[in-house]
Amino acid sequence: MDILLGIRTQNEVLLITSRSLARGISVLKSDDVKVLECNKHTALAFSGEPGDTTNFVEFIRANVRLYGFQNKQELTTHAVASYARKELATSLRSRKPYQVNILVAGHNGTPELHWIDYLGTNVTLPYAAHGYASYYVLSTLDRWWTETLTLEEGLELARKCIDELEKRMPIDFKGCNIHVVDQNGVRLHE
Amino acid sequence: MADRYSFSLTTFSPNGKLIQIEYALQAVNAGVTSVGIKAQNGVVLATEKKVMSQLVDGDSLTKISQITPDVGMVYSGMGPDFRVLVDKARKNAHSNYKMIYQEYPPTRVVVQDIARTVQEATQAGGVRPYGVSLLVAGYDDNHKFGLYQIDPSGSYYPWKATAIGKGSSSAKTFLEKRWNEELELEDAIHITLLTLKESIEGEMTGDNVEICVVGLPNDDMLGFEGVPNVQGPRFRTLSSQEIQDRLDSL
Amino acid sequence: MSNPSEINGGSAVAMIGKDCVAIACDLRLGLQSVTVSGDFEKIFQYGGNFVAFTGLATDVQTVSTELRQKHALYEMVEERSMEPNTAAHLVSSMLYSRRFAPWFVGPLVAGINSTTGEPYVCSFDSIGSMDVSHDFVVTGTATNQLYGMAESLYEKDMSPEQLFETISQTLLCAADRDAITGSGGLVYVIEKNGKVTKKLLKSRQD
Repeated sequence: MDILLGIRTQNEVLLITSRSLARGISVLKSDDVKVLECNKHTALAFSGEPGDTTNFVEFIRANVRLYGFQNKQELTTHAVASYARKELATSLRSRKPYQVNILVAGHNGTPELHWIDYLGTNVTLPYAAHGYASYYVLSTLDRWWTETLTLEEGLELARKCIDELEKRMPIDFKGCNIHVVDQNGVRLHE
Repeated sequence: MADRYSFSLTTFSPNGKLIQIEYALQAVNAGVTSVGIKAQNGVVLATEKKVMSQLVDGDSLTKISQITPDVGMVYSGMGPDFRVLVDKARKNAHSNYKMIYQEYPPTRVVVQDIARTVQEATQAGGVRPYGVSLLVAGYDDNHKFGLYQIDPSGSYYPWKATAIGKGSSSAKTFLEKRWNEELELEDAIHITLLTLKESIEGEMTGDNVEICVVGLPNDDMLGFEGVPNVQGPRFRTLSSQEIQDRLDSL
Repeated sequence: MSNPSEINGGSAVAMIGKDCVAIACDLRLGLQSVTVSGDFEKIFQYGGNFVAFTGLATDVQTVSTELRQKHALYEMVEERSMEPNTAAHLVSSMLYSRRFAPWFVGPLVAGINSTTGEPYVCSFDSIGSMDVSHDFVVTGTATNQLYGMAESLYEKDMSPEQLFETISQTLLCAADRDAITGSGGLVYVIEKNGKVTKKLLKSRQD
């Protein structure tokens, strides 16, 4: 299971995603990026059924961009999250539902993080995780997260989580990418 | 489908009129006069029942129809078109309202629904406008008694008293003189008869006039008694005897 | 996991008092045993009507927004506010329209009829069967626990203050005996004069 983790700090949102892409017993890629820039201030992190994930996330991005072009006004993070939720919720009752879990991170004046699972459950959270990783990191985050984390403190907390995962996860996930979403947009850290 | 006209035949003339609708209005204005009056404690609808021949069985002919227990309507213009609208209005009151909310639609919702149907016939392809104007009378808890007119264009108006059909303009002049805020239902029935009398040729009897009222709940029409908070229908058709009695005392 | 109504957890209860009603829910949203959120409110306000949705969270969000749309449309078309019994019938027909692919929700409706002044509470199953009650209604994963608490604490004709205490204790104690209900509570007390009080309850966060 891929690692998908989001931490909201005072002025930004961090997205921590594993770098390995495995299929069956083989690791196919160890520099995989599971984050997509949706529009300038919104990023999507995704995991789930290979194929479904990229297809879904690119569909969302295409429509969010189309909206931006047509209306000369970008969708807010909240709107992107609601839109993605609706698509997942509709898909859930179709013949072949998308099996995609996502985190929507954005910055519209204030940092914002949405947790959305494949069922279409959308919640706004200070920190969030999908999949097996959540069993390991949630208690760490419960203990150390505060409302007033700086970027450095946020990264330090991310480090704590990754260390824990490296220690406890039964498979090598080839390290993590950390994406930072702040008022300047989306960037890969380091 | 190439041999079928699928576009609307109701198109604008250069002076901005929809001639098909004007023709429909002419059909209405050639129709039998109908009168509606709203009183303090009820609404009355009335029309003349023209019988072509002595052999026609007039008792089974009705021109005023009930839509819901508290709403009814009458028309001037083409009878067959009216019956289509009655069917649609009754069906809609159930499918799009009672089946959802477990209560009957208020008068204005019924009116808006019929008006939508009528309007669609002025814009859709392969149809002609409805050749009727309607008077809709009803009661609901929020807006109390209501009287509305619907025209072939789909426009609708709320009235205190009005008339449609052949003798409508003189009837309205008459009603303007007679109507006042203090009117009781019985006064309204009286005025209705006086108004119709102006336009009816020949003698007026209980058999060639049709009257319906929306007034107090008619608990006797429920079919049972003893259940609290259940009201009978407010819509009621006056029997020819009841009409005759009122005519006699005119 | 096999039962969609028990994936996310959560419960709600509504009670009738003297010229008042109260409706309460927990705040937990989880994925089986893991708590994802501790501020997932399950009560939604539609004018004077309060509707709680428990069950599958995605359906809670879908149905609550769909009801928001239908309620707004009703008030615009009819130019009047919706009464609680009308809201309940609307919820019922919405759910039944999905008879053969149901929304996995267990709704409650609470409100006071603006013309008669009668308090109203009602519960539903996932396909819209209504249960109008003259005392209290419960729903969610702690249904059994809530019934037990409500049966023992409920009294007729309670004041808004008494009703708040009763419904709060009912919810909190029931939540303590259900692992997937809790993380705090939310209570609305609705009074005949139109006064609405919203209070958050704190409880154990595990």
